[in-house]
Amino acid sequence: MRRHNWYLRLGCLLTAVMVMFSLVGCFWTPYDPSALSSTDRYAAPSLTHLFGCDSLGRDIFSRVMQGAGTTLSIAFAVLLLGGTAGLVIGALCGYVGGAADALVMRLCDAVAAFPSILLALVVLAVTGPGKRNVILALGVLFIPSFARLVRGEFLRQRELDYVKAARLAGVRELRIVFVHILPNTLPVLLSGVTIGFNNAVLAEASMSYLGIGVTPQDPSLGYMLSEAQGFLMRAPWYTGALAGTVILLVLGAGLIGEGIRARMGDGT
Amino acid sequence: MAELLSVSHLNSWYGRGKDRRQVLRDVSLTLEAGETLGIVGESGSGKSTLARCILGLERDIQGTIQVNTPHPQMVFQDPYGSLNPAKTVAWILEEPLRAAGLRDRGARQAKVREMLHLIGLEEEHLSRRPAQLSGGQRQRVAIGAALIQGSKLVILDEPVSALDVTLQAQILQLLADLRTELGLSCILISHDLTVVYQLCRRVAVMRSGVIVEQGDADDIYDRPQHPYTRELLAACLSE
Repeated sequence: MRRHNWYLRLGCLLTAVMVMFSLVGCFWTPYDPSALSSTDRYAAPSLTHLFGCDSLGRDIFSRVMQGAGTTLSIAFAVLLLGGTAGLVIGALCGYVGGAADALVMRLCDAVAAFPSILLALVVLAVTGPGKRNVILALGVLFIPSFARLVRGEFLRQRELDYVKAARLAGVRELRIVFVHILPNTLPVLLSGVTIGFNNAVLAEASMSYLGIGVTPQDPSLGYMLSEAQGFLMRAPWYTGALAGTVILLVLGAGLIGEGIRARMGDGT
Repeated sequence: MAELLSVSHLNSWYGRGKDRRQVLRDVSLTLEAGETLGIVGESGSGKSTLARCILGLERDIQGTIQVNTPHPQMVFQDPYGSLNPAKTVAWILEEPLRAAGLRDRGARQAKVREMLHLIGLEEEHLSRRPAQLSGGQRQRVAIGAALIQGSKLVILDEPVSALDVTLQAQILQLLADLRTELGLSCILISHDLTVVYQLCRRVAVMRSGVIVEQGDADDIYDRPQHPYTRELLAACLSE
């Protein structure tokens, strides 16, 4: 009997709940997240307003749902962009090796030498804020770390006999890379993706908090956090609800990553 | 009979610049159709490098290698590493056929079933992955995958060294059967003289990249000429 992998189970459960919460937030919220109400200003959490109301009387629960949706969709888009490009670059570099690999990896080193959030800040200062620019900036900056991870795995796998056997059988090189080797790197990729997801959530939150991320049209958790800190003393539940949501999002993905690593360690 | 393979005055090197060192020195050998040549020697003697040269996997070589048959194949030592862990047996056996350009799925599957029967496995094994097979079963799959393209020349690099003794006998028997059934020519590489003796009529003894003795298996076993061969024989008898 295999040991129950509680990290993985708990992580999946938590992430599923958070994703559901955010997805629903994209389409439906209990109240209109931007509806003002002068009577409900700074309302404390109650049964009508679960997380209370903010300085303009907007329902915080609805706002958190909407913000989580924005944050999550940005994180997924960043992963998709950075992950796919990193995967292709890393796979080819690792498999081909040689001068091309060295060149591309030095380029990645150059990008990775800057703290990614700082670099994203610079990029956004030039391109201006907005959801699309955040995704592009973070996505491109995430490429090196993915590429490096994937490359390492391919470097290891390409020396194995099954790859040599495929080459001897005359299998085309691209097919060897993406059909033969790629499935065997999946566990490492998945755990890398969970880390990337967390970094994306935190990076987006920090950038929007600093006011150069998303625009007020599509507020994210980080953007709301910068609003909330203005009345931290009068409505601490606003900050609390936002911070809690970010923590739960990151915790869920972190647990999944930990669970995958534990399972790989078991050798199953 | 026609020569299937001839290697003459082959030299090979590893590394570059200062680290470049010679691993094969003036190696010459021939293999006739239907023959099985054994190459023995301890690890590091250059046996596997010779195999890689014949398969065209080594770059830094000098001398001539003539292979008069398409797609020579290789069976690797470790059946844990030579099968793709993410794929099923059916996929692993089918892939060389896809690579060879056989488009018809039905024809591929028919060949896979035929090969499955030849290597002594059952239909139920088709859907399994390497991790769900025993070491002997894995080596059978590896042999099947190497032979399914219809190659006439196959290099067996320590094909039974990773297996325990009873399985060794079974796999060697399977190789002997396949050889007659499919008309194969083989090069069997091993450090184990008893394994080589079971399958080969002709043997080459290698040491430090040089073939020190080559000839009829019985002659070499009964009247070894080179001191190194005597050493190998003594080591193998004392086991």
